Amino acid sequence: MTTGYHPLVKRLLDGELSLAELPPELRAEGEEALRLVGAADRAPVALSPALEERVMATVRGHAASLGHAASPGHRAWRWLNTPRDVELRLRVRPWTVWAGALAAAAALALLLGRPAPEPVPGAQARGGTRDSVLVRFVLYAPGAHRVAVAGTFNQWDRAAAPLVPAGTSGVWTTTLALPVGQHQYAFVVDGARWVADPGAPAVNDGFGRRNSIVAVTAPGAHL
Amino acid sequence: MRTIGLAATLLLGATLAGELAAQQPRLDRRVSPEVQRAVQVIAADAAARGLPVDPLVQKAIEGAAKGVPNDRVIAAVRALAGRLGESMAAVREAGVAAPGGDVVEGGADALNAGFSGRQVSDLVRVSRPPHDAALTLRVAATLAALGVPTKQALQLVQGTIGSDRSASDLLGLPGQVQAGVARGATPAQAAAGLARAAGGTPPGRLPDWVPPGQQKPKNPHKP
Repeated sequence: MTTGYHPLVKRLLDGELSLAELPPELRAEGEEALRLVGAADRAPVALSPALEERVMATVRGHAASLGHAASPGHRAWRWLNTPRDVELRLRVRPWTVWAGALAAAAALALLLGRPAPEPVPGAQARGGTRDSVLVRFVLYAPGAHRVAVAGTFNQWDRAAAPLVPAGTSGVWTTTLALPVGQHQYAFVVDGARWVADPGAPAVNDGFGRRNSIVAVTAPGAHL
Repeated sequence: MRTIGLAATLLLGATLAGELAAQQPRLDRRVSPEVQRAVQVIAADAAARGLPVDPLVQKAIEGAAKGVPNDRVIAAVRALAGRLGESMAAVREAGVAAPGGDVVEGGADALNAGFSGRQVSDLVRVSRPPHDAALTLRVAATLAALGVPTKQALQLVQGTIGSDRSASDLLGLPGQVQAGVARGATPAQAAAGLARAAGGTPPGRLPDWVPPGQQKPKNPHKP
């Protein structure tokens, strides 16, 4: 707007010259400029209180989001949760890496080789899966006071699997859950006498006696 | 390369140590200190040769449970270790470079039942999926324990596998022989009847004989 005024008129507006000091041909332009500037409203502008409140609320919310008004816990969490670029440098000798790897492998091997839980009757498989099926053992032993069955499936424990008499007929029986596979066993009569199952195949036990063989094939089946 | 060899040696040593350590508590409460010491030496030697240790521990526990004198228990464990070694050699002869413990133990059972090392190799050779070599060996051992001559048992097993019968059928062979014996047949007669039904090798044929028009079974253990 003022760019069109003569430089001397601009100096007039700036108060550096008076109207009388302008050349006569510029006095009309000078008077017009003074008139326009004098007509300008110089009253202070008053903002609406509602507008001021809205602006300040926005400013406070922004400040809170930047952490200026957050609690210490909130600030700590933000500090922990804010991603940062971290550069980690290690200086190692190659043999220490190998030694560490070997130590870890040895520890793992020892851990895997720890003693297994004590097996329970029927829980140990020989050449089979962990699927167990019920197998019935029967022995005719008239006059016996106690009969049990011991074998590879119960660590040859004479007390683990006692048979019960079926009435007074001399027939003793029990049913065990055995894993699928083949097992060797024998009956123990009165806690001391080892007897092979007369109804099952038997092999030399290496001690001059015979072990019976039971092969569990499918649920409920045995030789 | 030298480092890798050292690592493998350390790992193998740690694994064997773990396996032997795992057997320790099983022996602690069941056998005498004398038997325990002897078995540990035998087992360590067996483990160093890659033989399974568990059957040795089982045999020691079995002997102690049966009240067998210490020297006889130790002798039986030592004899079993020998059979496991012989079985390992026979299984490797069949083309299995690194046999599992079950297969080696099954071979030892077969040797104990009267099979020769060569027959054990033949049994492993004829095994093919779904027939596991360990199962094949145990079934053959059971047939021999029933009184079936080893050569005939070998032919029966091979005929059953060759005619694509299931693993359950194979495991059921001893029961079928027993049923035949119960009807009045000798074990050899019962086995011959089953072999004919299975299309197995006729008497007098070599174990790898196959009926005309049938393909010779492929050995899965050969590369």
